[in-house]
Amino acid sequence: MKLKNVAAVGAIALVTAIALSSCSSAAPTPKPTKSAATVDLSTLSGTITSGGSSAQANAETAWYTAFEAVATGVTVNYDKSQGSGGGVTNWTGGSYDFAGTDSPLNPAQVTAAAATCGAGGGLDLPVYLSGVAIIFNLPGVTSLNLDSKTLANIFSKKITTWNDPAIAADNPGVTLPSDKITPVVRADGSGTTANFTTYLSETQPSIWTYPVSTAWPVTGESAQQGGSGIVSTVTAGKDTIGYADQSSVGTATQASIQQGTSGSTYVKYSAAGATKAFAQSATTASNGTTGDLTQKIDVTKITDGYPIPLLSYAVVCTQFKDATQAKLTSAYLGFIDSANGQAIAAKNAGAAPLPASILADVTKSLKLVK
Amino acid sequence: MSETPADAQIQTSNTVNRPGAPLRSAKSGRTKARPADRIFQGLSTGAASLIMVILAGVALFLIVKSVPAITANWSTNPELSTGVTQGHNSFWGYVAPLIWGTVFVSAIGLIIGAPIAIGIALFISHYAPRRIAGVLSYVVDLLAAVPSVVFGLWGIFVIRPFLLPLTAWLNHNLGWIPLFSGQASATGSTVLAGGVVLAVMVIPIITAISREIFLQTPRLHEEAALAMGATKWETIRLAVFPYARSGMISAILLGLGRALGETMAIALIVSPSLIFSLKILTDGENSQTVAANAALNFPDANDLQRDALIGTGLMLFVISFAVNLIARLIVARTGPDAKGRKAKRRVAQLPPSDPTSVLLGDIEGASRSPEGSQRA
Amino acid sequence: MTASSVTRSSVPRGPIVNSLKTGQLPRFIELYTFIGALAVSAGILLAVGFSIVGWLVVAAIVYLVAIGVMSSLVENRRKATDRVVRGLVTVAFLIAMAPLVSTLLTVVERGIGEINWNFISTSTARVFNPKTLVVSVNIGALQSIIGTLIITGIAALISIPIGILTAVYLVEYARKPNWMSRTVTFLVDVMTGIPSIVAGLFAFSLFSLIVGPKAFSGFAAAVALSVLMIPIVVRSSEEMLKLVSIDLREASYALGVSKFATITKIVLPTAIAGLVTGVTLAIARVIGETAPIFMAASFTDNFNSNAFAGPMSTLAVQAYTGYKFPSTDIQGSINSAWGAALLLIFLVVILNLIARLVARFFSPKGLR
Repeated sequence: MKLKNVAAVGAIALVTAIALSSCSSAAPTPKPTKSAATVDLSTLSGTITSGGSSAQANAETAWYTAFEAVATGVTVNYDKSQGSGGGVTNWTGGSYDFAGTDSPLNPAQVTAAAATCGAGGGLDLPVYLSGVAIIFNLPGVTSLNLDSKTLANIFSKKITTWNDPAIAADNPGVTLPSDKITPVVRADGSGTTANFTTYLSETQPSIWTYPVSTAWPVTGESAQQGGSGIVSTVTAGKDTIGYADQSSVGTATQASIQQGTSGSTYVKYSAAGATKAFAQSATTASNGTTGDLTQKIDVTKITDGYPIPLLSYAVVCTQFKDATQAKLTSAYLGFIDSANGQAIAAKNAGAAPLPASILADVTKSLKLVK
Repeated sequence: MSETPADAQIQTSNTVNRPGAPLRSAKSGRTKARPADRIFQGLSTGAASLIMVILAGVALFLIVKSVPAITANWSTNPELSTGVTQGHNSFWGYVAPLIWGTVFVSAIGLIIGAPIAIGIALFISHYAPRRIAGVLSYVVDLLAAVPSVVFGLWGIFVIRPFLLPLTAWLNHNLGWIPLFSGQASATGSTVLAGGVVLAVMVIPIITAISREIFLQTPRLHEEAALAMGATKWETIRLAVFPYARSGMISAILLGLGRALGETMAIALIVSPSLIFSLKILTDGENSQTVAANAALNFPDANDLQRDALIGTGLMLFVISFAVNLIARLIVARTGPDAKGRKAKRRVAQLPPSDPTSVLLGDIEGASRSPEGSQRA
Repeated sequence: MTASSVTRSSVPRGPIVNSLKTGQLPRFIELYTFIGALAVSAGILLAVGFSIVGWLVVAAIVYLVAIGVMSSLVENRRKATDRVVRGLVTVAFLIAMAPLVSTLLTVVERGIGEINWNFISTSTARVFNPKTLVVSVNIGALQSIIGTLIITGIAALISIPIGILTAVYLVEYARKPNWMSRTVTFLVDVMTGIPSIVAGLFAFSLFSLIVGPKAFSGFAAAVALSVLMIPIVVRSSEEMLKLVSIDLREASYALGVSKFATITKIVLPTAIAGLVTGVTLAIARVIGETAPIFMAASFTDNFNSNAFAGPMSTLAVQAYTGYKFPSTDIQGSINSAWGAALLLIFLVVILNLIARLVARFFSPKGLR
């Protein structure tokens, strides 16, 4: 249906891509995985309606483009404007086939999911691993080291000037201005905020006394709409510092964050760092539903990965009202959580590939989706 | 001064040529309705009932949806005590600063925008040369058509940096005025920026409608006033404004409606806090509006939080209603009944030999005719 | 008020001034004063620190004071007021044109580079290269243009007839306020400030009841926009119909013309310019909405021309998402957002032109 309406150039390009993709399935470029091999994607047809987390959005675009290139009869719509909470709300309301969310289902949502999905309930499946980047704009300063204590102090307004001794101690040899720090935070509820406040409160509970929340808990700071709002305000302003999902920071200058709560190694986000951090800190902590893969991430256990990882899930019903829709959705999620799918997200959205053990678990859980 | 022949003559012409009261009786005498009449009356009555059903449906929907959130205990409810609604004891504690913020930010937008808008409308209808007026009114229409998302983007990329020096200056020199106090913004996401963008958004609306209304004022009255030696401003004050008052207030209200309900531009530009604040130059102490708050928090809200946000929307209805009620009262008070006294005062202020004073008899009739027709 | 009350209150005070004989300022005095004000202002600002905005602001103030003083010295107070007001109105106009023109220039400047035939005539095309795993996105706007036309078109089709007919009812039929006209007026008043996102949610909930949970469709979005549009149409049309002189109606009735014909042949054509302005404003207000579209029609990059099923995009949505949810190529996304914004303005300009032609075609000859 889409093809019909794309102009000739686009159509030719697509056809070429499809031809290429059919070639490549024979050639062993990226390892074809079991889940992708079990279903012949090209026989599928239909529309998947989904939405939620905007952190996942760029990865989703890459995934469904790649998926539609193989499963030519399928259209995937992912509404990134809804956000994690809105995605889950629409999903428990039955409007979505799956939802993307930055936080796993909470008990109330698990109950709501059981009502929509039947006895089997809904599953949290990890799909997207990334990190929260700290960005800043200080004229004349191109690299900045920050430890968790200083970060907590800056974002709770306890450190207010850039030449504070605590910042200077992390950055020997850097000339810091005496200007006021302008922390830029999210005005809207967001999974990125939840991950960042989790990091602050787990590493520095005595300084960061605010709750972990999707809404930024400190008042009196410059609050902007969306990760892009933070990025554009930080880069357009002066003496600013903010946080955003790494996929949205673009060319903004990233600060290096201290690994662990002591030590002298400071790192910027990297996919490898996030994968390492995930391996060290994550354990599966099912919410009680069979097949659920909720991950408990303890950031204090991260010793040499990127210290502020962000894990995003897809939530899906075990029991669909329509079997075709179940087959479509589980094929798509299987594609995402294949080595190939993770490599696509890494290439196009800077995401960190999930470890193979998690992917195998997801494949197992997807068998429950009917 | 005794009654001059001229005065008497005007008085007579008033009664003869301006049949104000007899109109209605003439109409009610015509009772015979044709089929087309009945169909058309049915259609328009049907449309009105349909609107009543639709709008009442929306209102009912809002009330039903928001009741659970309004009645819930916000400090203990697991859904409301976390995330975007955490830290509030009750619905009223949550919505009160929002109501304040909505009124405050809209008022700033309107205070900046409305006088300018009326000025432009007058410029187009009465001051600008005819040819230029045509072009200008087209430009204004065009600007009325600029969608709010565009104003939002423009606000972020142009207005925020543009207002930063002014923000710093006002804060430094006039910081003792509560409006300009506080820690001056470093990012430009201030209520002032939001207010300016709102003003720019309401200007075309108010201008477009006022202009139409100014153009509709009876040419004869204006020409008479001019012929009597009134200056242009006196003509406008005496022959245009009284006639256009109701329409101007409607225009301002439509502008206010847009300001009150404006979502994206405010959500994109202003850095919000849920507080009662008079400050317009800060990053961290800006009041927040209902609509922007709903748009910001809707995506990450759970079911009950969504209900709470709908509840805040319901409060916006109450605000709209209050504002409209006040405006209608103003129209009524300055309407035909109240006008006699006002006009008298104006007469007293004019120089006695001034020809305009003679006009007033005519203007009285003029202002009664359009407003009387609304009443009838 | 009677004539005698006028005369009684106008008691002579002070000498009688004949405005025809008293002094008059030279013809081009306003121009000269303005040039002078510009020079004085430049002088003042050069002493404190120069900025173009400050220069113009100070010049305006100097001009208003100077012309007021001169006129009241040479002419009289009335003329002075007149000149000051003329100055104020012109200044108001200039002040307002600055941001308005700046908006247009910004959009044109940033958006024009993005607009080409490819952008307009294709929908967003994404290409996956299985060798390199790279997904390249070629952003097009066709899906949004079609979506905008469909959604706004349906909303207009619903709202304009209902809105204008209701205004006709309020002005022509409910001459004495009855319970129905009072209720309608009340609801219209209240609804002018409806937050757009709530309208979207209402439409989505309504359609969920009718077609089940997957109710995202362009039609649902159009209903949401109608809820926003109707109050504006009613309010502005009502005002414009009220302005039609009662004499015209009376003349028509006196000739024995039916009420139906009077309304359709006399009242509506007389008010057509105002009606069209109101309707254009209403369309402009809703065509730029994003929140209700997200709620009721979800979001998609894919082409969809079926108003009754599936997510649909509009130009406003594309502009907003391009800024708020940029792809990894952030600058490219923001550029496409400006491109979509500019297209949206183009679209509105075209609609506006059509509306003006309609108005010109229907309005009675020689009215203006």
